[in-house]
Amino acid sequence: MVVKIRLARFGRRKAPFYNIVVAQARTARNSKPIEVLGTYDPIPKAPTDGEGKPFKDVKLDSARAKYWLGVGAQPSDPAWRLLSMAGLLEPKYRPTTSK
Amino acid sequence: MGAYNREGQLTRVVKASREQERERNSGGGSNESTQQRQPSDPNNPDGADNPDGTKAATLPPESRRDLTPFPLDPQFISQPVLSGWFKDQIWKQVILQGLSVREVSASLGVEMSRVAAVVRLVEIEKEWKRINKPLMRQYHQAVMNMLPKTLWNPEETTEENRKKTKTHESINDLPVHVATGQQIFLPTSESRHFTRKDAARVFDAKLLPADDRVPHPELAVMHKEVLEELSDEERKARAEARDASEEQKRKVALARQAKKEASIKKVDIGRFEYRFSEIKVDDAGKDGRGLKGVGWRYGVPLMDRSRGQHKIPRAVE
Repeated sequence: MVVKIRLARFGRRKAPFYNIVVAQARTARNSKPIEVLGTYDPIPKAPTDGEGKPFKDVKLDSARAKYWLGVGAQPSDPAWRLLSMAGLLEPKYRPTTSK
Repeated sequence: MGAYNREGQLTRVVKASREQERERNSGGGSNESTQQRQPSDPNNPDGADNPDGTKAATLPPESRRDLTPFPLDPQFISQPVLSGWFKDQIWKQVILQGLSVREVSASLGVEMSRVAAVVRLVEIEKEWKRINKPLMRQYHQAVMNMLPKTLWNPEETTEENRKKTKTHESINDLPVHVATGQQIFLPTSESRHFTRKDAARVFDAKLLPADDRVPHPELAVMHKEVLEELSDEERKARAEARDASEEQKRKVALARQAKKEASIKKVDIGRFEYRFSEIKVDDAGKDGRGLKGVGWRYGVPLMDRSRGQHKIPRAVE
């Protein structure tokens, strides 16, 4: 059985919130995972000091994430994107250069 | 008719002009004295700096009758507003001298929220002047002439004069807390030393005592020290110690904030910034339901299903 690092959608209608989880690949999306590595809030928040860009909060236990990657857990594409931004993986997709 | 007569003229202006007329008729010598008296009029230190200074000088000071805009309601008296010069001084003290809003508020007797508002508005006015946006000077002048004003009195800053002169408003009013709205009869023993702290606790376990809830708790402390008849040196030393501890607290809070900021990894991807903060999986505890754990919890009904939780916010802050 494949262990995956993936996102589990929680939150409300039109207010998504994701747990970054380590789970068996064939289990249901929101079933109890092996471990919750962190969270991802995709709704951008306005910067507190009124300057700069809106931001999205990601909470992540990078040590545990590294461990699970080391033992062969396979990140889903969205999870790969987040982990690569956190510097744990090489980015899978790079932005195509515009002509 | 209030402040105006049947012809629609300000009665105090008519009266003043009539008096001037009489003095002019009586002789030239007294005329000079009136001219000398006018500039030292209590209204003038303000009018002098205003662009509308000339007109303010000719208007005699308003009496109690002028401050009641509704003749049938003599209890309604217009509250004074800050004069233009006063506002400029507040702005100077906060922006140029770098005093805190709290200090300025305490020294000038103007509420903190008003000090902050004045600073913001003067900033806007200066910005508008800078970009040559037309200002409604005439309107401002007309309204200011109709309202009673608190004038800037630089001697007010000395202790003696402050007692004599009236401050703009009362600055240390206790705000009404919802928890204190109920009437409570609490039997206590006669021997018990029942303080404000105890009273606050009776209303609500988390309610602060009145001395800490007022806008300027430091003034209450200073007044207590005066009542304790401490010497000036002692009071000064205590005030300095208080300031130092306050500064220390502020520094610690700033350092903590900076440390927290530094631990967050920021990744800019164009439209948004991703902020990665480090957590520990073990914080969730063995059953995954620990208070410090992050994320949506499994196998637990949501908080918003419990009693007393409002899904739709009831107040906007």
